[in-house]
Amino acid sequence: MNGLENISANDGWAIALMGVSIVFIGLILLSLCISQLHKIIDFWENIGKDKDIHRKKYITPPRESTAFQAPVLDEESETIRQYKVLVDRLEQPFSLTDLLEFAERVGLYNPHSTINYLLEKKIIIPDKNGYFIWTRQ
Amino acid sequence: MASSLELLESIGIFSTMAKDELKKISDMVHPIKVKEGETLTQKGKTATTFFIIIRGNFMISFEKGKAITLHNKGDIMGWSALIPPFVYKGTIVALTDSEVLTIPGKDFYQLLQSDSALSDKIMKEINSIATARTPLTQ
Repeated sequence: MNGLENISANDGWAIALMGVSIVFIGLILLSLCISQLHKIIDFWENIGKDKDIHRKKYITPPRESTAFQAPVLDEESETIRQYKVLVDRLEQPFSLTDLLEFAERVGLYNPHSTINYLLEKKIIIPDKNGYFIWTRQ
Repeated sequence: MASSLELLESIGIFSTMAKDELKKISDMVHPIKVKEGETLTQKGKTATTFFIIIRGNFMISFEKGKAITLHNKGDIMGWSALIPPFVYKGTIVALTDSEVLTIPGKDFYQLLQSDSALSDKIMKEINSIATARTPLTQ
């Protein structure tokens, strides 16, 4: 009997296949464990810190009060500055929908009510053609 | 909270109407609360509901990034629900938490079809608003 015949006679192919399967299953399990490692670490780091942590993390908090709170002076000027930066990047006169999308994309807080505030303060005014103008320098 | 009838009486578009006319409309009116950022209508979708602002601020966006904002009690939105082909011309988004009266477009349209005097009063108002907003929709 030569080498290949010996392998066949002693179930070598089946054993080889089993070996390959074990290795691949092992690799899959290992990759799954690594992909979930951040959750285990997160859990480990937060043990005892806050029992309600998972609720806080995965449930979207309800929106805050309906009426937009006018920002205090420093906050107001910072808000205006942030929106001015966005407006400067848009074509003039600018589209209010573009500004809203832009503000949402960059993650500004309460973009809808902030834009409403800027409209009420006449920092943004309509140009009567469906577009808007920034009035402050 | 005021009844639908009292709310309608206080709104410009309905202020000249007789009590019995208002009663017919108030029977189909439903007040709803809207959250900041919530979308009431989508441009191009079938227009099913007519809206009247009670409180709050809205933005209606049209083609090419054009938009208007509405801030007054009694401002109307979704007039496409009363005019064929019954397709919304704009997307309405609440800029603040708000309250609106909703009227099912189909019922309101049928009421206007069956009452020519009422229809004349309402459609006159709606036509003037539609005329003002049409340039923005093109």
